[in-house]
Amino acid sequence: MEKARIALLLVALAAALALPFTAGPFWTGLVTQMYIFGLLALSVDLLLGHAGLFSLTHASFFAVSAYTVAILHVRYDVPTALAAPAGILAGTLLALVFGLAVRTRGVYFILITIAFGYVVWGVAHRWSSFTGGDNGVTNVPFPAIGAAAITSHTQYYYLVLAAIIVCGLGYRVFMRSPFGLGLRGIKASESRMQSLGFRTSAHLYAAFVLSGALASFAGVLYVYYNKFVNPVAASFPVSVEAALMAIVGGTGTIIGPFLGAAVVLGLRNWVSSFFEMHASIMGAVFIATVLWAPQGLVGIAGRIRARWRKARRG
Amino acid sequence: MLTSAVLQAINGVSLAALLFLLASGFTLSFGLMRVVNMAHGAYYLLGGYIGLSIVQKTGSFALALAGGGAAIVVLGYLIDRFLIRRTGENHLAQVLLTVGVAFVLGDVALQIWGGDNLMVPAPAFLKGAVVLPGGVYYPKYRFVLIFLGVIVGLVLWLLYRKTQLGAVVRAGVDDREQVNATGINVDRLFVMVSALASFLAGMAGVAGGAFLTLYPGAEWEILVYALVVVIVGGLGSLEGAMIGALIVGLLDAYGRWLLPEFSYFVLFGPIALLMLFRPRGLFGRDH
Amino acid sequence: MAENALRIDELAKVFGGLAAVDGVSLTVPAGERRVLIGPNGAGKTTLFHCITGTLRPTRGSVKLFGRDVTRLAEYRRTALGMGRTFQITNVFPDLTLGENLALAIVGTDRRKWVLHRPMQAYEGVRNQALESLERVGLAGRADQPAKLVSYGERRQLELALALNTRPRVLFLDEPCAGLSPAERQRISQMIAGLPRDITLLMIEHDMDVALGLADRVTVLHQGRVILEGSPDEVRANAQVRDVYFGHA
Repeated sequence: MEKARIALLLVALAAALALPFTAGPFWTGLVTQMYIFGLLALSVDLLLGHAGLFSLTHASFFAVSAYTVAILHVRYDVPTALAAPAGILAGTLLALVFGLAVRTRGVYFILITIAFGYVVWGVAHRWSSFTGGDNGVTNVPFPAIGAAAITSHTQYYYLVLAAIIVCGLGYRVFMRSPFGLGLRGIKASESRMQSLGFRTSAHLYAAFVLSGALASFAGVLYVYYNKFVNPVAASFPVSVEAALMAIVGGTGTIIGPFLGAAVVLGLRNWVSSFFEMHASIMGAVFIATVLWAPQGLVGIAGRIRARWRKARRG
Repeated sequence: MLTSAVLQAINGVSLAALLFLLASGFTLSFGLMRVVNMAHGAYYLLGGYIGLSIVQKTGSFALALAGGGAAIVVLGYLIDRFLIRRTGENHLAQVLLTVGVAFVLGDVALQIWGGDNLMVPAPAFLKGAVVLPGGVYYPKYRFVLIFLGVIVGLVLWLLYRKTQLGAVVRAGVDDREQVNATGINVDRLFVMVSALASFLAGMAGVAGGAFLTLYPGAEWEILVYALVVVIVGGLGSLEGAMIGALIVGLLDAYGRWLLPEFSYFVLFGPIALLMLFRPRGLFGRDH
Repeated sequence: MAENALRIDELAKVFGGLAAVDGVSLTVPAGERRVLIGPNGAGKTTLFHCITGTLRPTRGSVKLFGRDVTRLAEYRRTALGMGRTFQITNVFPDLTLGENLALAIVGTDRRKWVLHRPMQAYEGVRNQALESLERVGLAGRADQPAKLVSYGERRQLELALALNTRPRVLFLDEPCAGLSPAERQRISQMIAGLPRDITLLMIEHDMDVALGLADRVTVLHQGRVILEGSPDEVRANAQVRDVYFGHA
């Protein structure tokens, strides 16, 4: 099966590389979004699939990072080489503060992250003198470092593709590391982990900050793609959808969140062309996923594979 | 200055009354049934809109309050029976499911009542201003809300602390096995508490819709406030909902007055402090 | 070594109005095998929880090799040499047996914080895990998920997990609970075969197993120590028989 998986990945890579030439600007833009939100979903899944914590505040890091980059470029003419890292840093600093939430578990944790997320949205919305209020910050340029400058959406597409491949590979190492295994241990039995010598709150805090940093990186990629940012980027639906993408695609995997992003964004895009009630469709997807496909697409694929193997043996 | 401070306090307490109506149902639902219902905000909004339509058709505010509440009782029952029940005690699933329900309800409400800011017309004898000592005019309706909040709070508290039924619910909040063991019909108890929570949410929508406007998105704003109340007060505690509502209401009023652009930070402060010293909330317990 | 491995002074744990542990004092010299017996509800597991840090005692103190650990968090007690098994098996069901053990092995050292190298790169950990599995009779099963393993085998895994935290004092909470006679034999042999430099404190219901493994026995009843002595003394004692067979 390993060979089949590698072959599949290579095919996917080839398709991804060829996309701008085979499908045109509309699809290039949409797939870029899938990569960016897939990365956001991956950051949520770091906590959900590995540590068992359901965070609904990741849009906060995403947005804070995006706003930082936007404001630095648009108002202070700061170049990409400084603005982009500053964005990631800002989001990560916020994660260091919001990481307080790991002092709680279960429902409490979920509710607290929701409340934290709203604080950021509220500030983005009300502090208009700084954030531009509902209008947000517009006219963000393409990234450029020295002589290397992005000048088209197609070029940006490849930059984002490269970025998520690098993140994916790094995530893979992280997943298999002792720290990653420790998180899965905490998810399985926190009490056992403590009796084995793990200071579980410290591990969860570190994981939270790490996932916040990843979400911040997604925010940087987002603002250069979108060229503007407004409070919607910090809103609850964005956080919740990121979690949904991880679940629809399959938690605990690397490819799952990206598949989920493809499904959710693709579905919304398709449906909105003939049906006005987008929110209802999103709502229906949530309900359907919870009731019928809690393991997500990767889980469904796993079940199909298992049945196929059984049939072959039988 | 002092007059303003007092006025803000009344503002805060009137908001607290409204938040209590919403938060009390949410916290008891969780305490007894371990259900997290993120559609509670949507219940508020829908209840408000339905109440609005009732006033438009019949002219009766009282009927609107009752009708808005009743409509949500029915809706809440259906959602509970056919959807929420299927998630067992999986809180993650409950959150996702009820968020999905809230998205659908919000969208349906948008289609029926549109996107404009609407207000439920209150009867004339409740509107208008009262003159406070010092010659200050203040909206009468806010006092009505406080009155309503106090009445409901008193009734709930008496039911909860002084009746057999309340004792059973309290025992259930403490330990569900106990309730099962006493042979009381647990299912019926759950349905009753759930209905009460739904009724309060729907009624709160009508009451709130007469001084705060109803609009798409309001369901999330009010839900977050209710969540903060419940976090601060502790999940499952009625007293916690009361104290939490007061704290949040007052902080919000003073925050908006003193630091309008950072008023949401004022909500953040107590949560952050609480995380440091009492992660379970003021009256919460380990579940 | 002059210090005792474990010293408990007037330990009490009160829940609501009920004292589950009501003033227990106990001293276990290094290397001894002490068994704790007593009827259900005597407070044995609660006592364990207070000693290992799962619960905070209401009063009293716990000293490990002379060091006061009463207020220390559980993970720090483990780092100081306390290992334990749980009465209800507490392993990691979705992880493989090898992964279960890997966690136990790195739990007490800095490697658990590494996030840039895969666990597989740590040959030492892998070898130790495989060796451990062999010793508890689970050889060759390293890649099986723990949830697919039988109950008896899970108990063996419990023991292996505790042993890999490099304990100086090992707390075993009913290691034979729910096992068939053959499995019981196996586990007691494993325990008997443990090196003598590990001090053992064991809760056990099965009198034969208990008295067979013990150097000394402490009898608990209603949260208090009612007798302490050699296995023969306890076996012969009338009060103990009453307490166990229902006259007390």
